[in-house]
Amino acid sequence: MLTSETLRLKNGRSWHVASGGSGTPLLWLHGLSGVQKSDPLVAALERKHRVIAPLAPGFSDLAEIDEIGNIHELALDYDDLLEHLRFEGGIIIGHSFGAMMAAEIAAHFPRRAKKLVLLAPVGLWNEKYPGRDVFAEPFAAVESFLWHDKAAREALMARRSNEEGPVNDAERLIAVAQSLTAVTKFVWPLPEKGLRKRLPRIAAQTLAVFGAEDTFISPRYADDFKRGLPQVQTAVVKGAGHMLPYERTEEVAGLIEKFLAA
Amino acid sequence: MKFHWFHLMPYPQLPENFKTDYRSVWVDVPSSLFDPKVGHRAYNEYLDELEYAESVGFDGICVNEHHQNAYGLMPSPNLIAASLARRTSTAKLVVMGNSVALYDPPTRVAEEMAMLDCISGGRLVAGFPVGTPFDTVYAYGKSPATLRDKYYEGCKLVLRAWTEPEPFAFNGKYTQLRYVNVWPRPVQKPHPPVWIPGGGSVETWDWCVDNDFLYANLSYFGYIQGQKVNDGYWATVEKKGKEKNPYRCGFLQFIAVARDDAEAEKLYSGPASYFYSRCLHVYPGFAQPAGYTSIATMRAGIESMVARAANRMAVEELTWKEMITRGYVVAGSPESVRQQLEVLADKMHVGHLMVLCQYGDMSKEVTMYNTTLFAKEVMPKLRYKFSEYEDKWWPSTGLAEPATPAPLTAVV
Repeated sequence: MLTSETLRLKNGRSWHVASGGSGTPLLWLHGLSGVQKSDPLVAALERKHRVIAPLAPGFSDLAEIDEIGNIHELALDYDDLLEHLRFEGGIIIGHSFGAMMAAEIAAHFPRRAKKLVLLAPVGLWNEKYPGRDVFAEPFAAVESFLWHDKAAREALMARRSNEEGPVNDAERLIAVAQSLTAVTKFVWPLPEKGLRKRLPRIAAQTLAVFGAEDTFISPRYADDFKRGLPQVQTAVVKGAGHMLPYERTEEVAGLIEKFLAA
Repeated sequence: MKFHWFHLMPYPQLPENFKTDYRSVWVDVPSSLFDPKVGHRAYNEYLDELEYAESVGFDGICVNEHHQNAYGLMPSPNLIAASLARRTSTAKLVVMGNSVALYDPPTRVAEEMAMLDCISGGRLVAGFPVGTPFDTVYAYGKSPATLRDKYYEGCKLVLRAWTEPEPFAFNGKYTQLRYVNVWPRPVQKPHPPVWIPGGGSVETWDWCVDNDFLYANLSYFGYIQGQKVNDGYWATVEKKGKEKNPYRCGFLQFIAVARDDAEAEKLYSGPASYFYSRCLHVYPGFAQPAGYTSIATMRAGIESMVARAANRMAVEELTWKEMITRGYVVAGSPESVRQQLEVLADKMHVGHLMVLCQYGDMSKEVTMYNTTLFAKEVMPKLRYKFSEYEDKWWPSTGLAEPATPAPLTAVV
């Protein structure tokens, strides 16, 4: 179980950082749902690692991103945080936009990551398989199409409402809107902000995992990562959509542990 | 009270099956549906109609900006206004307006509007909308997270460019210019009146009141539904201690005047139904992108006009009777329309009424009829309203001796 604290950096910026578990440190960069108390994949990772999970700027307060103008400035902010945490040559794992950020950190500051795991990573654009536009859907619909396995979604939602109490629907929609807003600033109107050019800068051993049924980030993006990053290993998880860490948690955790142990 | 004739310039030949076979009238509506021959006729007839509105006594003629939109064929309202500037002489040109955040640098807006004000001899009303998400976020690819901020900065730059007498440098967050020096400059001093079209964002109310801009509530859903937004605006005016002057507010209303109710239905129910069922057939996913609506506005529970359109698919199934009872269309005999507009003006406290006398696939002939009846038999009876207030949001410093376009005869 993660516990959260607020860190104040030398430059005056604050970060909400959750952490838990013990073992080799591992940086977890969340996807669209932010840092959740009950996150089955994080729980699996906590068995062998000290999981450090910063909340992306903007997720708790949109004013945090007012002065972060682009992906480079955002990468610098993460670098400041990692400096504060003395996190270097470590394991960075991200999902969705978190995976985009993980790749950007590793490309901007290669010494920060020794091993990199990208789960359904955003960040590249190929017009042959653009995927569904997550930003052109009603908020209420966004969540559902990111999932392929609807039963897994129901199960996770039930688990969360058991552990954290019932959710107010209006507030949940506002939270979705806020999360999407926090990421749109860095991925609008297309998510490719130069990562393709920067991929060769990544020094870390990298695993990229895709959901076979992901309609947002096609598994074919595996090829795009391979072109820019010859050392990348890729895997495709059957029966999973964009929310693969929560649709096939054990399988994804297994792939990660196998990759980290190698 | 003042009256302005507003044109959306809809494409008049969307197919019958549009609602069922296409997903949106806006953003990704296939341009293969556009026939330039139909476009040629539509543009020219629509210009005729706008020009006609001046001749029957409307105070202003209004144009607006939309992109990738089959119900609004004016990606550039300034082009239309330029044409109107030459063919009209008294009506004010209400450009509603230029979406400042779409132009890099925004001084382009200052230049073109200054040109319009010069050509027209000081008849320009300068509208600065944030712009709908369809236009700005999807058609023009602007980030919804920064759109409003960029818009504020752009508006400030335009106003400064119009008023500072010397070149200056501008070091903005979104625009950096070493030499801001707009030629030409507007006729009106310090600058043309600024109108802000809005759909219910709480930030826009503050922005208008703080800067004494006119707030124009542009709704397609009439005065009954529009009341909530106006109430919010007037509450902001009072809270900030400003005069509750009706001329600081505009409202848009669909109009259908005829000899009697039966004739109104016969003439206008078809075009109105075309508008609500085809022109407002928008994909809901384009209506409210994350970041476009602030968290504060979301919490206030006021949806934007377009979001409302998208969320209420039932709008597409409206009957004529429903359009009237809900106040979407103010219809009937001149006397009946007058009565309804008295209520509108009093309850909404609106000094600038913009009317849509053309909508959907309404023909030029029917549009002229609607316009004439309104101008001759409704407008004069409402003019007395709000005469006790001074209209500080209207062009007043026009040229004493404006130029007249020369006749098109050969000079040998």
